[in-house]
Amino acid sequence: MASTARPASPLEVRGGVAPLRAGQGYSFFLRRLHSLSGIVPVGAFLIEHFVSNAFATRGPAAYAKQVELLSSFPFVVGLELFGIWLPILYHALYGFYIWYRGDSNVADYPWAGNWMYNAQRWTGAIAFFYMIWHTWHLRFTGIHLLSHPDAAFGKVQAEFQSPWAVAFYAVGIVCASWHFAYGIWLFAAKWGITTGDKARRRFGYVCLAIGLLFVGVGAATMYSFLSTPVEPGSAMQMTMSNH
Amino acid sequence: MAKSVIIKIKRQANPRETSRWEEFELPYKPAMNVISCLMDIAANPVTRDGKATTPITYDSNCLEEVCGSCAMLINGRARMACSALVDKLEQPIRLEPFSKFPVVRDLAVDRQVLFENLKAVKAWVPIDGTYDLGAGPRMTAEQQEAAYPLSRCISCCCCMEVCPQFNDDTGFVGAATIAQVRLFNTHPTGAALERERLTALMGDGGIQECGYAQNCVEACPKDIPLTRSISEVGGAVMKQAIGDLFRK
Amino acid sequence: MATTLKITVIGGGLAGLAAVIKIAEMGGQVDLFSIVPVKRSHSVCAQGGINAAKNLKGEGDSTWKHFDDTIYGGDFLANQPPVKAMCEAAPGIIDLLDRMGVPFNRTPEGLLDFRRFGGTLYNRTAFAGATTGQQLLYALDEQVRRYESEGKVKKYEHWEFLSAVLDGNRISRGICAMDLRSMEVRTFPSDAIIIATGGNGAIFGKSTNSVVCTGSAQSALYQQGCFYANGEFIQVHPTCIPGEDKLRLMSESARGEGGRVWVPKTPGDKRDPKSIPQAERWYFLEEWYPKYGNLVPRDVATRAIFKVVFEHNLGIDGKPMVYLDLTHIDRKILDRKLEGILEIYEKFVGDDPRDTPMKIFPGMHYTMGGLWVDFKQATNIPGIYAAGECEYQYHGANRLGANSLVSCIYGGFIAGPSAVQYARNQKAAAGNGHFDTERKQQEENNAMLMKSEGKENPFCLWRELGELMTKDCTVIRYNKNLKETDAKLCEYLERFRRINLSDRTQWANTSVVFSRQLYNMLQLSRVIAQGAAMRDESRGAHYKPDFPERDDKNWLKTTKAYFAPDADEPKFEFEPVDISLIPPRARKY
Repeated sequence: MASTARPASPLEVRGGVAPLRAGQGYSFFLRRLHSLSGIVPVGAFLIEHFVSNAFATRGPAAYAKQVELLSSFPFVVGLELFGIWLPILYHALYGFYIWYRGDSNVADYPWAGNWMYNAQRWTGAIAFFYMIWHTWHLRFTGIHLLSHPDAAFGKVQAEFQSPWAVAFYAVGIVCASWHFAYGIWLFAAKWGITTGDKARRRFGYVCLAIGLLFVGVGAATMYSFLSTPVEPGSAMQMTMSNH
Repeated sequence: MAKSVIIKIKRQANPRETSRWEEFELPYKPAMNVISCLMDIAANPVTRDGKATTPITYDSNCLEEVCGSCAMLINGRARMACSALVDKLEQPIRLEPFSKFPVVRDLAVDRQVLFENLKAVKAWVPIDGTYDLGAGPRMTAEQQEAAYPLSRCISCCCCMEVCPQFNDDTGFVGAATIAQVRLFNTHPTGAALERERLTALMGDGGIQECGYAQNCVEACPKDIPLTRSISEVGGAVMKQAIGDLFRK
Repeated sequence: MATTLKITVIGGGLAGLAAVIKIAEMGGQVDLFSIVPVKRSHSVCAQGGINAAKNLKGEGDSTWKHFDDTIYGGDFLANQPPVKAMCEAAPGIIDLLDRMGVPFNRTPEGLLDFRRFGGTLYNRTAFAGATTGQQLLYALDEQVRRYESEGKVKKYEHWEFLSAVLDGNRISRGICAMDLRSMEVRTFPSDAIIIATGGNGAIFGKSTNSVVCTGSAQSALYQQGCFYANGEFIQVHPTCIPGEDKLRLMSESARGEGGRVWVPKTPGDKRDPKSIPQAERWYFLEEWYPKYGNLVPRDVATRAIFKVVFEHNLGIDGKPMVYLDLTHIDRKILDRKLEGILEIYEKFVGDDPRDTPMKIFPGMHYTMGGLWVDFKQATNIPGIYAAGECEYQYHGANRLGANSLVSCIYGGFIAGPSAVQYARNQKAAAGNGHFDTERKQQEENNAMLMKSEGKENPFCLWRELGELMTKDCTVIRYNKNLKETDAKLCEYLERFRRINLSDRTQWANTSVVFSRQLYNMLQLSRVIAQGAAMRDESRGAHYKPDFPERDDKNWLKTTKAYFAPDADEPKFEFEPVDISLIPPRARKY
């Protein structure tokens, strides 16, 4: 021991970021679960959802058939709950937690990757709020589509009567596409699938194409709803006749 | 009129004081860098408005960008002061201490956390002893070329300062340590501790906190392949985690 | 053993860390003190490589040849047995470093690659890219971190060594050190101490050394009674990049690829170098040495540049600089052969050397002299050991390239076990009053600095010291100038008493710390200047135009300076050199 201990100086360097808590805690599992849930099932569902809705481009009848097919699945509510709603809820809420814990510094370091880091948070948030609104209107209120699949096309058309709704759909589709496409890229980078710089750049183009494809499909789908004349007896008419 | 250099420095007398800005005007000399400006201030510690002050406290040593001491925020960016040439900086030059490390005084901060992290991931080759055991393991030139860039990390902590995920909330380990894990896991003898290192990185503040903003690789003064290392180690961590799920 | 041995190591460069590892391995407990975190020590700056006669190139190299080259390169001033032992240990040290994970460059077969360096005919230098020192230091640092995590090593980083604590019998019982943050002065008892505090470049103001290389610890020990040996031997590197803050090395390969050294013929010519016509440029190396031209050996080039700058007053813009011109060489060739080093110039100077001639000047590079030690690295004070650049043992009058790293590690490997051995046989001191006495003394020194009400700024005084020492105590030495230098140094010491700290706070006060170092630098400067004045010959790095030949009859001797406290100045004695293995011969490359 030091021979001549004196009272310690009252000044001390304190605080700072804690060192790694090696091997402790569950954040690894939760964070990786978040990452995975973005691909499966949420991403998988997103693909299904875009594809199913793309049947709208073949007209209301084909669209109704597709909705009917989906609603005919056994345990459909259970599937929805555990395959879609809960994973999305987890992905979203944990995502907000991640966002809350990060310190955006894109103003100081305006680099491409940093912009994307921020964009991933904003697009995720916008897509989430869009989804709440979207499902509330189409799934949980109005005509029950599981029991009336053929009313689906008209219900969307009814929604599209408001230009604000159309705009929100457009933004929502772009944000969801962006978030998903860059999410795939991030997943591949973080899980060690694309490790090399070149591989990551190449895969970046692939993900860009995926994102654009989603936006394209979304746009075509929206166009179908907007360009198809409202059919008599459709949900659209029912909604209107209520007024 | 003789040219001059205007420098604004964010100062803090000790960890308890609040910070304040001081402005200095120095006679311009060719080949000045931020360190030489700080040396000039020490030789004549007077602010621009003529007030006597104290020399600036800052960390520095080699001044050749290999010791990693003199990292600070220069015009808002994390970088090494020794390689920050006055001729290439916009004036007034703003100097601030790193924002994510506790300030000791003025521009000097405490970066001990990195060394603690290196301990936590056992960033060393576990040799039996220093007695003569003959040559080391053979390595191809290719292996050496992969290891060398990682081994050039100067522990300056720029990658941590610029990382949006490195903060009090996450306690993220930062890119530098992850790159060292890759370095030692790829060494034939160092690989003996691979499992422990990867397990360590699965702890709170581990590799999962990376948000892949890629600022680290942009800011690194030694061009270390940090994002690549995060990806490689990220893959190794997942392989181990999933493997354990089925085999353990 | 009833109690664990406690060894204090001061300095966390290669030598210090090497010692720490050996001590920890032997079961000792280490307190490791360093001004900077040990990973930031000056050893990181070594670029070239580390010598070991592994003979992996089929050239018939041997440790004896390495030994002979080292002795010959050092102009026969080094005691031969420890140098021989070092050269014999070198291949094993390389193997060990290799096992520790140093990323040495490899041959196609996967073996260590070796390259040729100055002062030898063999490919004897192992290297890791252009940052060998950094790689070696990191390897040792990692092993020490391992011991630290096992509780065998306690690091005191951001602490500065102030003095040894000596008991009534002048035996070391520990150290007195200062926390560079809280400014607290504390004593730390230990069974033995090892000094590994590097060179003293700061004495020369700007050098290739790091900021912490002040020689302060060596000087403090010299003032406490340690011998300081061969202080006058200072190695200067001919081509450094002058900076406002320091000098950075510019590799010799720039001249090797055809670089030409010149100055404008008109003093103070302010024109852009490229606009100066050929007829108005003086290619002095080519004129003076038509045979070798720009590729004359280091010391010759250095002296020529000094002569042009200080005697002909032809430095660029009146400043101590000359041009090293590569602009006549094709860019593609430069990029292929010299890209790495040209990037260093671009990074730190901001000019592209492919377009503009580089400005270079010789710079103080290495301290051959240092604390006197015996073959077990023990100083003359019992319980104090020294290793690395801070001691004098392995390089004689001139150090060969790539020998410094091996001497540091080897010195540490000897010092560690020697200190442990000593500590095992050491009896406890009677009483411990000396700790309080030493601490009070050092606190008093600090208090005096804080109170001093003069007008001298320590940083300005240091700049004057650097200019003085660089001018008269490096490359070309005249007795008249050396005498004047010593008189000036006395004057500086007098001025030091009127120092004025612009900072009197008690937290991370760099002015107090620097002033203490400055005082020690001033004291050590006198050893260098007086030692140089005494040695009337030319040997290795020590060159006197008035005595241009080596004089083995009178000066094949180690200079040993010791401090005379009453006179407050160095006294000298001389010790014959152990030349038992290789008889001296003329040194002609």
